[in-house]
Amino acid sequence: MSKALDRGILGRLFLFLAIGMAVGVGLFLMSATQAKAIDENKCLTCHGNPDFSKTNGQGQKISLYVNEKAMSFSAHRFIDCTTCHTNDPHKVPTPLTKLSLAERCGSCHQYQYKLHLDSIHGRELVKGNPDVATCVDCHSNDRNPHTVIRVLEYNAPAYKKNIADTCATCHGNEELMANYGIVEKVYESYMRSFHGKAMQLGTYEITQLDKATCTNCHGTHDIRSVDDTRSPVAGLDNLTKTCEQCHPGAGANFAAGFLGHKEASPQNIPVAHYTEILFRILLTSVIAVGAVVVIAAIVKFSTKGWRKE
Amino acid sequence: MATVAGTMPLAQAREEQIRRFDTHQIIQHAGLMVTFILLVLSGMPLKFSEAGVSQWWAAVWGGIDNLRLLHRVAAWGIVVVCLYHLVYIWYTTAVLKRPFPYKMIPSLQDFIKFFQEMAYFLGLRREEPEWDRFNWREKFDYWAIFWGMPVIGISGFIMMFPVQATNFLPGWVLPTALVAHSDEAMLALTWIFVVHIFFNHFSPRVFPFNKSIFTGKVPRERYRREHALEYAAMTGEGKESDETDTGNIR
Repeated sequence: MSKALDRGILGRLFLFLAIGMAVGVGLFLMSATQAKAIDENKCLTCHGNPDFSKTNGQGQKISLYVNEKAMSFSAHRFIDCTTCHTNDPHKVPTPLTKLSLAERCGSCHQYQYKLHLDSIHGRELVKGNPDVATCVDCHSNDRNPHTVIRVLEYNAPAYKKNIADTCATCHGNEELMANYGIVEKVYESYMRSFHGKAMQLGTYEITQLDKATCTNCHGTHDIRSVDDTRSPVAGLDNLTKTCEQCHPGAGANFAAGFLGHKEASPQNIPVAHYTEILFRILLTSVIAVGAVVVIAAIVKFSTKGWRKE
Repeated sequence: MATVAGTMPLAQAREEQIRRFDTHQIIQHAGLMVTFILLVLSGMPLKFSEAGVSQWWAAVWGGIDNLRLLHRVAAWGIVVVCLYHLVYIWYTTAVLKRPFPYKMIPSLQDFIKFFQEMAYFLGLRREEPEWDRFNWREKFDYWAIFWGMPVIGISGFIMMFPVQATNFLPGWVLPTALVAHSDEAMLALTWIFVVHIFFNHFSPRVFPFNKSIFTGKVPRERYRREHALEYAAMTGEGKESDETDTGNIR
């Protein structure tokens, strides 16, 4: 009797499970359509076509395609196209320059735009220099305004752990940096430093936000040349104040211990440089002696016959 | 004489052991070994941070913060072990009035015997040099730590407390401490893993590993061969010690 009852309960449970799974799979399938961005004016009817393009005055083919899938992950997915592209986008000529792009972002993000224009990047941007970074260079993984993502997303180029790599796309380019007299290998020296190692070996967790990267010392939208006296790293006084932000009580001595993105040399913290040489000699000679002894011992132990004394 | 300890029945072999290290020395070596291994495991990824394996290993520990914590805990541990050793030396000599362990002090004899041993290894000499209480490798290991601990300890504490250190020291101590700390670590690490491990694991007399520092005892026959002068002085048989006092056997 109890056996029959058991079978009845088990059978019912199995039935519920089957129904539950059917409902679950159904819901999943129904909701598994592609996430959409807001498109009130049906722009994507044409612009969602990958081959959609135009030919400009110089005979250049320009793609007019907007990738809806990529767009659906962007920070602005709930903002309609016309917010940035005006109410009558086909009538308004769009000069596609970095500056015009920054202006567009600045129509909403006014504070950041103002800081950016006064930064070393912004000042060069206004001069028409195409090398410099502007909004999309640091906020989109493919430098595309349609795929700007929020800084707290793990794959955002401006997420804390990714910032050094983002800066390095330009500042790791020796030829490009040579044009501006920046000879220090800033990326490599950062990665060798305490901060860089902490960042590289750290996780992607939000707790990692307390670790220093490029922007913590140099600033973000208001980033300035180290030759600019207003830069937080220009001169020992500014540098000390910058160190103090994370190292309370750090004085000028502490800041003076920074190698300045350069290797130690007779001119740059000579004690560290000569310590390096001393240890290189010590390490090489001690290891050489050790290796010779071990090799000689291996010769003895193997010719004498293993374990035969 | 003809039989080696390893070929004898276990019970008999046990009887043939001679005491070489006391309990304090066993604890000191074990403490040094454990903290050293922890320091290597938690320190290497910091030095070679760009290597993929370092990032994997750091991730295993849940990120650099945990690795750093482990490194610091083990660092305090190794400091305690070293202080224990210094107190032990002071207590045994000053309070218990045991003779000072001067046999650990390197001499010209060690230098000569080093070359004799090399010649023996390479088949240019028939006989092994005869060692007293410590051979040159044991002395080298000991003094390497004696010099290395202040170097690595002071540089480590400078990096552990950089703000406090630069309150009274110039700024260049920070990058210098990093260089000294990591290079001294490499020195210790490679010596331990190349020479120390090789001779205490792969030497035919002790393979697969030399248990003496854990049991405190050495088989009589091995003692006679490896520390011939001390053995002779201890048992009164055969050769005279080349060093005057032989009272340091415990």
